[in-house]
Amino acid sequence: MKKSIIPLAILLLLAAPRIVSAPFFIHLMIMVLMWTVLGASWNILGGFTGQVSFGHSTFLGAGAYTTMILFLKLGIAPWYGIPVGGLVAALIALPIGFICFRLRGPYFALSTLAVAEIIRLVALNWESLTNGPVGLLITTLPDVTFWGRSVDWENKVPFYYIIAVIALAAFAATYMMSRTRLGAYSLAIREDIDSAEAIGINTVQTRVTALSLSAFFAGVAGGFYAMYFHYIDPDAVFSIALSVEMVFIAVVGGLTTVAGPLIGAIVLVTFGETFRQIFLVGHLIFYGLMMMIVIRYLPDGIWGRLRLWFRTQLS
Amino acid sequence: METFAQSIVSGLLTGSLYAMIGVGLTVIFGVMRIINMAHGDMVMLGMYGAFLSVTFLKIDPFLSIIIWIPVAFFIGVFIYRFLLKNIVPAGELNTLLYTAGLSLFIANLVLLVGTGDYRTIKLKYAIMPLRPFGISVPIPLAIAFGMAILITVALYWFLVRTDTGRAIRATSQEPEAAALMGVNVDRTAIITFALGTALACAAGALLAPSLYLYPTVGEILVAKCFVIVVLGGLGSVPGAIAGGLLLGVVESLGAVYVSVPYKDGIGLVIFLLVLLFRPSGLFGIGKS
Repeated sequence: MKKSIIPLAILLLLAAPRIVSAPFFIHLMIMVLMWTVLGASWNILGGFTGQVSFGHSTFLGAGAYTTMILFLKLGIAPWYGIPVGGLVAALIALPIGFICFRLRGPYFALSTLAVAEIIRLVALNWESLTNGPVGLLITTLPDVTFWGRSVDWENKVPFYYIIAVIALAAFAATYMMSRTRLGAYSLAIREDIDSAEAIGINTVQTRVTALSLSAFFAGVAGGFYAMYFHYIDPDAVFSIALSVEMVFIAVVGGLTTVAGPLIGAIVLVTFGETFRQIFLVGHLIFYGLMMMIVIRYLPDGIWGRLRLWFRTQLS
Repeated sequence: METFAQSIVSGLLTGSLYAMIGVGLTVIFGVMRIINMAHGDMVMLGMYGAFLSVTFLKIDPFLSIIIWIPVAFFIGVFIYRFLLKNIVPAGELNTLLYTAGLSLFIANLVLLVGTGDYRTIKLKYAIMPLRPFGISVPIPLAIAFGMAILITVALYWFLVRTDTGRAIRATSQEPEAAALMGVNVDRTAIITFALGTALACAAGALLAPSLYLYPTVGEILVAKCFVIVVLGGLGSVPGAIAGGLLLGVVESLGAVYVSVPYKDGIGLVIFLLVLLFRPSGLFGIGKS
């Protein structure tokens, strides 16, 4: 049964803009998928290794700025810049990991918060590279032909397909985490780091690898963010609020699951964006509320609980 | 030399308020092992409390803390009793995430009700700064400084001299032993959380005339709180006082001698270094 669901879901994902084509709906789906990638990115670290990071906006920002700077200064098109952005984020994650993983639990969380703030300040003040608080702006995206047709960047559909492919890659990476040695080591670290160390797992290397993989996807999503919104500034892509939103989507959806970030993003982003259309501000109120409810009543997240329910119903 | 003296004085003035916020966070951490991400939002509520008193009740912001301290105390009792109590046994990380949710909820509630405009409180008697020995001292900060010292001393006396204070310190040192000696740990936890919340709120009201207020100001303040309590050693009250004053001075010296844009960064770098190399705080008195 499970085997037939996955191709069906992928098909649905790719056909969605053909089914409903209202611009707001497509924008909403793009946002949901972008946040799915960010939630999945956080889940690779936070869900599997149990290390709570409050600084993932660093990687998002690094990816966004790499993509933007490559395009504006060197003329490299964003679709090449996005993967490079991911790699730069993954590289930045290495020193951050080696420093912050000396700390455990809540102390690690606080240290990532501090690192992210320091990097935001650097981005704000390194004006020759980042243009400081003014930010960077793309006016037009370069022309490209795809299967003989030139892509219309005024339309949102091409962006939908780009983020859909990225999201599929993020799902695949999460699935790999649950199947590979890296994932098994990570889970051992999450359960008990001292025991993991004692049975010979290199806990620093494992955590840094997971962080780096996680940062790659956050960076890719950041690159997409820059390309989609055409504009970035340090307070938009390096803010604490973004890091916190990533945590919330992953936790509310359900940690260590493949579909969890998608469910989290559907619930939170759909509500948040609709709320923003009506009230303009305060759309994160629902994020906070859901987080409190999930931690209190659904410790496995929405998808974690639903999955359990499906399993008991089907067996 | 005058610039140096000036930055030390301004640093100590702001530092006294940082210390007050830090003490609140650190007593909560000491007793409950909670890292309260919503602490900055309690400060924000205090700032809005002072703003409301000035605009609607025509009460001086510094006098308004007589109203807001008890109100905040009861908010603290409510939050602990109905929201946090069941979460705390689930572990530090769950509490961290839960209070992060609470923080987002409170900040966005205020954003929704009061809009995100930047607001200021203008006091008629505080336009010109005082000038003792050629050093400029803004009047609102000077009053806040005096009141922060009074409140902190009162709190210190409470912790050292009263039975409840002793119970708080005992629980902070060793909850199980305290329980065996007949301390009602549950009640102590409620009182501590409420006390920490009241301190944060009072500090907010005192800070309000000197800062811009907006709903997400707590985000910045909470980062500063963590720097302060980690500098002084988590769980240590004298450490938090010292850490607060130190951060105030470091920030103002940094703004003068290093660079204004990186002023907030200096504190964070010191924070990371202390976490990595001296996890029990600069004075080695905290719990690592």
